[in-house]
Amino acid sequence: MNPPTIYQTNFPKLAATDTVGAALRQMLDDRLSDLPVIDASGALLGMFKLVEVYATLLPKAVLLGHGVPDLAFVSDTLGQLREKMDEIEDDPVRNYVVKPDHVIHPETPPLEIVLLLYQGANNVPVVDRDSGRLVGMVSARDLLTALDPEKPK
Amino acid sequence: MTQGDASHASAVIFGLSPLWVATTLFVVTYLVIMSDKLNRAIVALLGAGLLILVGVLNQEEAMRAVDWNTLGLLLGMMLIVNITRRSGLFQYVAIWSAKKVDARPWGILLMMSVVTAVFSAFLDNVTTVLLTVPVTLLITDELKVKPYPYLFAQIFASNIGGTATLIGDPPNIMIGSATGLTFNDFAVALTPVIIVIFVATMIPLYYYWGRHLHATDENRRHVMAFDESKAITDPRLLKQALTVIALVIVGFMLQRQTHVEPATVAIFGAAVLLFLDNFGKDSETQSRNVHGALSEAEWITLMFFLGLFVLVYGIQKAGLIDLMADGLLKATGGDFKLTAIAILWGSAILSAFIDNIPFVATMIPLIKAMGPTFGSEHALLPLWWALSLGACLGGNGTLIGASANLVVAGLAERAGTTFRFIEFLKVAFPLMLISIVISHAYIYFRYL
Repeated sequence: MNPPTIYQTNFPKLAATDTVGAALRQMLDDRLSDLPVIDASGALLGMFKLVEVYATLLPKAVLLGHGVPDLAFVSDTLGQLREKMDEIEDDPVRNYVVKPDHVIHPETPPLEIVLLLYQGANNVPVVDRDSGRLVGMVSARDLLTALDPEKPK
Repeated sequence: MTQGDASHASAVIFGLSPLWVATTLFVVTYLVIMSDKLNRAIVALLGAGLLILVGVLNQEEAMRAVDWNTLGLLLGMMLIVNITRRSGLFQYVAIWSAKKVDARPWGILLMMSVVTAVFSAFLDNVTTVLLTVPVTLLITDELKVKPYPYLFAQIFASNIGGTATLIGDPPNIMIGSATGLTFNDFAVALTPVIIVIFVATMIPLYYYWGRHLHATDENRRHVMAFDESKAITDPRLLKQALTVIALVIVGFMLQRQTHVEPATVAIFGAAVLLFLDNFGKDSETQSRNVHGALSEAEWITLMFFLGLFVLVYGIQKAGLIDLMADGLLKATGGDFKLTAIAILWGSAILSAFIDNIPFVATMIPLIKAMGPTFGSEHALLPLWWALSLGACLGGNGTLIGASANLVVAGLAERAGTTFRFIEFLKVAFPLMLISIVISHAYIYFRYL
């Protein structure tokens, strides 16, 4: 089994100038929580992650890692959260791009990909080592598809 | 130099003078610590290790140099706080106090400062600001007011409050351990002046920032809607922790009667709280809880102290401390009043720019060395209070003057509020000078 049979080469991606609103609609349509963001040459700029959008809904104090371990005492409503979402809808996704936790390459051994996914990684970008271009994405579901016993070897 | 020191001199590498070797290592170590280029624990341990390797001290002397009482007290209190904070106590008190003043912006600033000062008096001030500053940021976020005045006030409150007791600030812990002064001695001597200094600090802050703070009724309603009872995440742990903290403080207060050192009280309190928190739980949960409490102790601070004690003992044994004490006595003409005031002002100005922990570690043996000149140990009391007030309050003078200042600035930066050195200095240094003027008057009229 070779890595090309594990990762997807046809996958949704974003340009840095795409809006958050458009990115979120794509995420809803494709049932994805992370999307890669590329520049004009196809090189990976980073990831647009749903958790980063959720972070903007939270008070900054909660993100400090100390002092406010939960927000059970705050009584914000869903309407207030929607208002905050509306405020960021037209922002470009470049404002939210983060460095991917993991990057793999076309030649990465399958077992290493299994280890990454076992350790909790998902939607891992596959980048060509020489050109830096994004050539694919691999998720836990892609691995399951590749391991399907009914799939021709 | 004593006979013992003279015989020891031959053990120093290449037959070099122990005084020069120890002084050079000490100065280089302090310069590297001040440069902030390398973690201070690494620097202090390297310096201490080199002192042993070059022969200024041997292993036994280095072990004797370490003030285990200071380390034990710090560790014990760190463990107690680490366990207690899981209960949500600190969030509860902060939210409760904000609601007590109807979420009025100046009222909240004042109340959060009082809460910070009181917590800092009984807990480590870095831990206190780590626990209270995020709640302040949450409240100012809801009020839509600038957090800078609130955080500035909390920095001052943490350093002022920490000065009030034996356990509030590391310099006091070191002074108490080195002199045998008890929790009650510190409380009786320092708490009254600290209350005056706190009030005297808040008045200019009101005129400078407080009276201009404004929040809309709607935003205040957001804060009033906070339900502080829901901040308590573990009521059972809260009761256990409050009981243990109360008993530990009683233990500190009864030190003179029981002859049990504060380190023993704090470590035993931490052990009891760990026992109560883990009783009846499975072994895996116990391991996780204990590991969590232990790993969250500030080991960098503890290791920094360990290295410092060895370093300071190195220069003490080599004779540098005696030389420095002689120099200070010559400069003040052996005048006790002048010496006390020089220690107060010198400590304050220096502590505004350099870490007060190594400074106090050096000053303790220096003041002790002046004992024969000024008579009994009891006669030195004003000098200890001068050192404590100067070193602890001096930390308010600049952004780099105390660990709590840098921690607050770091948290603020991550939440989008920048603390700049000069901007902070312009307000903080005059306020710090006011606190030292008050301390000067207090020491002069009460003790000199």
